[in-house]
Amino acid sequence: MDIAALIPSPDTIPVHWVWFKVLLIITFMAHILLMNIMLGSAIIAFFSGLKKSPDSSTIPLQKDISEKTTFVIAFTINFGVAPLLFLQVLYGNFFYTSSILMAAYWLSVILLLIIAYYSAYIYKFKFETLAFARIYFIGLTVLLLTVTAFFYTNNMTLMLSPGSWTKYFAEPSGTILNLSDPTLFPRFIHFVTASVAISGLFIAITWQKKKKSGATDADLNIKIGMKYFFYATLFQVLTGAWFIASLPGDIMLLFMGKDGIGTIVFLAGLIAAVVSLIYGFKNRVWPATWSAIVTVFFMVIMRDMVRTAFLKPYFAVEKLKVIHQYSPVIMFMASLFIGIAAIIYMIRCALSARTS
Amino acid sequence: MLNNYLVNYPVWDLGFLGGGTLIAFIAVIHVYVAHFAVGGGLFLVLTEIKGYRENSADILEYTRRHTKFFLLVTMVFGAITGVGIWFTISLLNPAATSILVHNFVFGFATEWVFFLGEIVALFVYFYTFGKMNKKDHLRIGWLYFAFGWLSLFVINGIISFMMTPGKWLSSGNFWDGFFNPSFWPSLFFRTFMAFMLAGLFGFVTSSTVKEKALKNSLEKYCAKWLLIPFLFLLASAWWYVSSLPEPQKLMILKLSPEMPPLVKTFLFLSPLIFIAGVFMAIQMPGYVKKGVTFSLLIMGVLYLGSFEWIREAGRRPYIIYGNIYSNSVSAKDIDFMINNGILKTTRWVSLKKIDETNRIQAGHEIFRLMCISCHSVGGFVNDITAATKKYSQYGMESMLNGMGKINEFMPPFPGTNAEKKALAAYIVKELNSRKEKLSSEYSIIPIEPKIPLFDPSKDKYILLVWSGKGMHFISDNNQFFSISQPGNTIYAQLIKRGKTPEIIAGSLRMTYRIEDGFNTPSSNSNFWQYSRSFYGRRINDNEGFSGKKTTGEMDFNESLMAYSAGDLPVIPYRDDGSFVPFPLVYVEARDSKTGDLLCSTGVSVPASTEMGCRNCHGGNWGRKNITGLSDETSLDILKTHDRINRTDLEMLSGNGNPEMCSNCHAGEQPGTGEKTKHLNLSAAIHGFHANYISANDPDPCRNCHPSSGFTKSYRGIHSKSGLDCSSCHGKMEDHALSLLVSEKNEGKSEAEKLMKHLRPRSADNVKQIEPRKAWINQPDCLNCHVDFKPPETDQSPPNVWTKDKKSLYSSRSDEVGIMCPACHGITHAEYPASNIFGNDRDNFQPVQYQKNAYPIGANKNCKLCHTIDMTEEIHHPNMLAIFRNIY
Repeated sequence: MDIAALIPSPDTIPVHWVWFKVLLIITFMAHILLMNIMLGSAIIAFFSGLKKSPDSSTIPLQKDISEKTTFVIAFTINFGVAPLLFLQVLYGNFFYTSSILMAAYWLSVILLLIIAYYSAYIYKFKFETLAFARIYFIGLTVLLLTVTAFFYTNNMTLMLSPGSWTKYFAEPSGTILNLSDPTLFPRFIHFVTASVAISGLFIAITWQKKKKSGATDADLNIKIGMKYFFYATLFQVLTGAWFIASLPGDIMLLFMGKDGIGTIVFLAGLIAAVVSLIYGFKNRVWPATWSAIVTVFFMVIMRDMVRTAFLKPYFAVEKLKVIHQYSPVIMFMASLFIGIAAIIYMIRCALSARTS
Repeated sequence: MLNNYLVNYPVWDLGFLGGGTLIAFIAVIHVYVAHFAVGGGLFLVLTEIKGYRENSADILEYTRRHTKFFLLVTMVFGAITGVGIWFTISLLNPAATSILVHNFVFGFATEWVFFLGEIVALFVYFYTFGKMNKKDHLRIGWLYFAFGWLSLFVINGIISFMMTPGKWLSSGNFWDGFFNPSFWPSLFFRTFMAFMLAGLFGFVTSSTVKEKALKNSLEKYCAKWLLIPFLFLLASAWWYVSSLPEPQKLMILKLSPEMPPLVKTFLFLSPLIFIAGVFMAIQMPGYVKKGVTFSLLIMGVLYLGSFEWIREAGRRPYIIYGNIYSNSVSAKDIDFMINNGILKTTRWVSLKKIDETNRIQAGHEIFRLMCISCHSVGGFVNDITAATKKYSQYGMESMLNGMGKINEFMPPFPGTNAEKKALAAYIVKELNSRKEKLSSEYSIIPIEPKIPLFDPSKDKYILLVWSGKGMHFISDNNQFFSISQPGNTIYAQLIKRGKTPEIIAGSLRMTYRIEDGFNTPSSNSNFWQYSRSFYGRRINDNEGFSGKKTTGEMDFNESLMAYSAGDLPVIPYRDDGSFVPFPLVYVEARDSKTGDLLCSTGVSVPASTEMGCRNCHGGNWGRKNITGLSDETSLDILKTHDRINRTDLEMLSGNGNPEMCSNCHAGEQPGTGEKTKHLNLSAAIHGFHANYISANDPDPCRNCHPSSGFTKSYRGIHSKSGLDCSSCHGKMEDHALSLLVSEKNEGKSEAEKLMKHLRPRSADNVKQIEPRKAWINQPDCLNCHVDFKPPETDQSPPNVWTKDKKSLYSSRSDEVGIMCPACHGITHAEYPASNIFGNDRDNFQPVQYQKNAYPIGANKNCKLCHTIDMTEEIHHPNMLAIFRNIY
């Protein structure tokens, strides 16, 4: 069967593709950092809760995570909407197809998220009254979000592998997963590990702020956070090596000398990662955070380059036909401006209400 | 080889969850909660203001509790099901979703900004409740409502666009699509709905307030939210419907069979919800109010659900009106696909060609690609197995032919005939596991007609008798309807033999008698039982419409110079239960003074109940496995008619008052000639069915008329010569179009709907089709038999019809007054005819008088009447010839 014949024809776009690529990268990065915090904090809270420490020293840590998780979930989902939109504009013909091939799993994400989210609310509102039983709720959240991440990884890799799409003819009921793809598991584990790492930083930042406001148990939690960050990032080097080795040879080589920009991006990311490890080891919270964010930025670029390389035999965004309509962009920009202004105002009100 | 594929995406094979079940479920739930979220935003801030104004800490505490409820419902369930809709539409119709995303990306992006603002506002509002100063807190509340309503504003643009894309169809402009014809009424409708739902959900939290006085006052307050917007909601609904373009409006108000229960639900629930709202405002025990609250929650989702379903169904057959069909075929591509086929123009098929070995598999792929979007397999939504259970392979193919032509809620079938056959085979044989029934072996026992002896040397008279029709079907399941009533006419002319033969008129007593076994027709048919329902008066048992029985006397008709007896009650079921569609009528001519028998003969009279409606309308034969309409078939015909035309024929027949089709389909009032509203029966029934059964069937007529099935009413010389119905009557499309053109010219707009997709076969253009009236403008024998000569063509030319009743073959006479059928036999059974009961049953008189089956006097046998040879062609030109069709 001719693979290229299976690839749907793309629709036209209203402005130059660069607009959408930039918006995609920015919003995806916001989403992935939030997702990291959401999943990683839940994992950390769960494992902390598992250890029945007699002095219950990690309770404040867990409590704090319980209070924040529902917010982070809300923003993760919201900031997931934006990159999903721009992804569909640029790569919809691939993404819709892979979604359909795994439709049953893909749609189940909706149910998984609802249950995970409500479970997080129960964990939060009933934190004290549940006592030890609370780990069931945060555990459920962790499980369901991890499964969600797995389904996402399947979709994101399946959309890049039109060669696997012929499985549809034997399985048209939306039950195809991309399990035979060598990049699936390293990619999945790399993202989940990243969640633990980034959450470690988030915890450290949180408790550093609390320390400034006078909390006494902050130091312990800052240390815990940085430890999670350090060891997870160390592990990330291994999972990252696995990930890049699992890529098809010619794509892997793009980052190892064959392509100038690819190699620079990879090296920059590696360097930033090493820098963040050093700061992490030294418990320097904010420097570690900034270098981690820089690392993530280069990794997001790399991820985009991997996508472009996988699709190269079939498709390039530059080939999308443009039928210009600028006025809706203006409307979006205006609403973004007003929206951000309103949000800043509301947060300011909230902060001053807290301190008053 | 095709470079451009027209259908791009794979289809999720959902089986019983197909047909849009998933989107219906997720969308209605989300919309319910989302509208509550929008209205609830205003509810929260106004209730907070109420708390401040009344200086009531209790009301403020209620507001805070309601905010928590609000947060847990809308933030989790509401938000995620919203994403759920997006996931679902991408899975069920990626082509349409891609169109929306690529055209409205910055609309969606703007909506996203508003979502973000909503989330921040709601979090701040809830978590600082009681901790933030009054002014700022209210501002946050107002901001929440503003963002919420603005997100409704945006999505409303896109949803209403799908129903009424307006100028976008030609301009492709974002603003044309967004601010489309139904945008504003839809926005107002949804806004008022949002306020009402805010009140409705308010009952949930107010029902848990412990303090009685506060509870009652809050319930009164919530009731105001539910009731005050109500009138505005209904006014917006009326505005909404009025704003729709004609096709969408018609689909909702008249055409879609899905609509009536939905519209009824919406209208029925309106006063119910109102009353429940009033109920909640008055003093009632707590448990009663809890019950009413719960039922209001259910009614609310049904209310909104029925509206959303009406909206979606009104859009059919499109998902974006006028742009792309529900099955992802673009409107502009459909003609190309019909010509080139589905398999060649879609990407996600494994078969590219259909042959004997892969027909069912091809049908399966076609079904998945083209039908699952609307039809589940055994599920809740438009279950395909339920809808097609009644069809045979032929019936299913016919349905696919006619799809989308009259009932436009479906698109036309976008494929080739071979693909139609494959899809039909898949549905009928695999999905419905239907085994084609082989026709039963009903053995026909030949019947010996009692032909009197004729002695040409002695006998003085020749009696010629013929039936008014050669083919006549009657519908026999009268408790359901009557489309064609029993009643045969016979004619007779008595000729005195001699050098100058004479037609004897007057001083004759011409009597007739149907053969044994057919003389109590009322006991073999329920027509008489229902005759009052058909005619308004009970016809006496065993009598015809004009009072004649199965034996009696014929009347002399001056203008025809012939005897006739009309409306004879002939039923083709003999007393022993056998089916004999050609009973014999024996006629005797006697001198009215002396009573002497001058001559006697017989004629076969056709009456068949072999109507093949079951090919498409399901069920088996009603009788003996070869004839008759069964109850199942009859009921399906009524159900279909009711569904398409919003009649209540099924109910009427159930009450014992079945209808006669020609009562509504009279065409014009008998007597006054005043035009009636509906099409005449022939135009209606041919016009309708031509859309379904004509195109690929070389002999569609046999589906309804007993022409070539078991009865074989089409049995005369033309049949023997290899001509078919269309040789004289034209192809079915033309047959129907000529009738419809006539009706259309008389101002009956109903004709247009049936004509719209009929392509003439004998002309390039329907404008070239001449109008024709049934039973009056018919093919003229002389069209082919120019000057009564052997014809040089096998095809009667189109648009050339007899101009009136008198010019019909069955009404005409030769130059000396002998009517044409007297010598040649009646239409469809012209001498020599062959009858399924054998023994020259139809050639009674030729065999009796001249010992052959040819027309009376054939092969220069003028002696038969003239007693001597003749040389002048007095009866009609070119008559002195040897009968050339010797069989």
